[in-house]
Amino acid sequence: MAQDDILTGVLLDEVALNAEDLARACAVESRWVVERVEAGLLGSASVKTVEWRFVSADLARARRLAALERDFDANQELAALVVDLIEEVGRLRGRLKAAGLAAD
Amino acid sequence: MEFKDYYQILGVEKTAPADEIRKAYRKLARKYHPDVSKEPDAEKRMKEVNEAYAVLSDPEKRAAYDQLGSRWQPGQDFQAPPGWDAGFEFSGDGAHSGGAADFSDFFASLFGRAGRDRGAGDFQMRGGDHHARILIGLADAYHGATRTITLRAAKQDASGHVITEERALNVQIPKGVKEGQHIRLAGQGSPGMGGGPAGDLYLEVQFSPDPRFRVEGRDVYESVPVAPWEATLGATIEVPTPSGNVQVKVPAGSQAGRKLRLKGRGIPGNPPGDLYLVLEVVLPPADTDKARQIYQTMARELAFNPRQKLGV
Repeated sequence: MAQDDILTGVLLDEVALNAEDLARACAVESRWVVERVEAGLLGSASVKTVEWRFVSADLARARRLAALERDFDANQELAALVVDLIEEVGRLRGRLKAAGLAAD
Repeated sequence: MEFKDYYQILGVEKTAPADEIRKAYRKLARKYHPDVSKEPDAEKRMKEVNEAYAVLSDPEKRAAYDQLGSRWQPGQDFQAPPGWDAGFEFSGDGAHSGGAADFSDFFASLFGRAGRDRGAGDFQMRGGDHHARILIGLADAYHGATRTITLRAAKQDASGHVITEERALNVQIPKGVKEGQHIRLAGQGSPGMGGGPAGDLYLEVQFSPDPRFRVEGRDVYESVPVAPWEATLGATIEVPTPSGNVQVKVPAGSQAGRKLRLKGRGIPGNPPGDLYLVLEVVLPPADTDKARQIYQTMARELAFNPRQKLGV
């Protein structure tokens, strides 16, 4: 590839990831993804058609879940609870920002 | 490159047993957790901690590192001695924290050869996916743009050692991108092994802070200063917005904080977001006799009590 080539990527959400893509992006086995979707811990934002589809929010969530489980040997429900809270704090911080208030 | 003292990074003795190392790691992983930590250099520290743990939690790597480490001091200029790792076999690639791509040159110089060993024979493997953040301006989301990002990436040299190198990528930012969305660049992750395909690169979009605009999803909020008479009597004013200047009608009787919604003028998309102009009433200074006189006339003539609702 020449140095000045311009790379055009795919915007997630316009094109979704499948379970294998998501697993690879999180450096986990596909089974890891399947188990967490079936347990209701991952993929609530996804459009469920014939196969699972994952969007940007799922990718961010899955990476956080995988990191928490790995770093703290957390069980999957506990990791999901922590990620629920992290996401909620993120939403609230976003609201504060939109209201012109600092998060700290 | 500098020699890294992984024991010092985790704050443990060189004789620490495995469970003590694990405990120290978890404590630091909590302290520097990127979503929670308020430490200014949390992300950098977390990378160091991950790297140290990747080595010290792996008996093979730890044994090799210990043999080497007795001869070096932290911060000392370091070159891996040729054949330093003879007699050791590394089964992992340091992927403990989701890929060794984040690790230092020091790590790569020591443990980068695992890839070569595994690449021998018929072994074929797809390269790992990489993740990075890309900072763009709000105008880039409105119009699309091309941005150059510089990434540190692992690469195999001719002798099979993994080295890190900087590479610049020109990336097309699609119009309508939202904060937190990912752009997936196929084949821009780690190279594959034994002829396997390269991994992908995921770029998470973040907007650079802009005091003029606040963004929620595709909706954009912008404060617009107005004069008291524009707010009370109504006026047509010109406002700069991310998509260019627009003429906006301020309705008579507006108070500070009133939101004017410009439908579809947020971040483009299907459906596009809205732009909210938040009115901010700015008082003219009473810095001339004339201005003071006008304020005095208002005070006398308007009989206005701003604290009426407070009951005083």
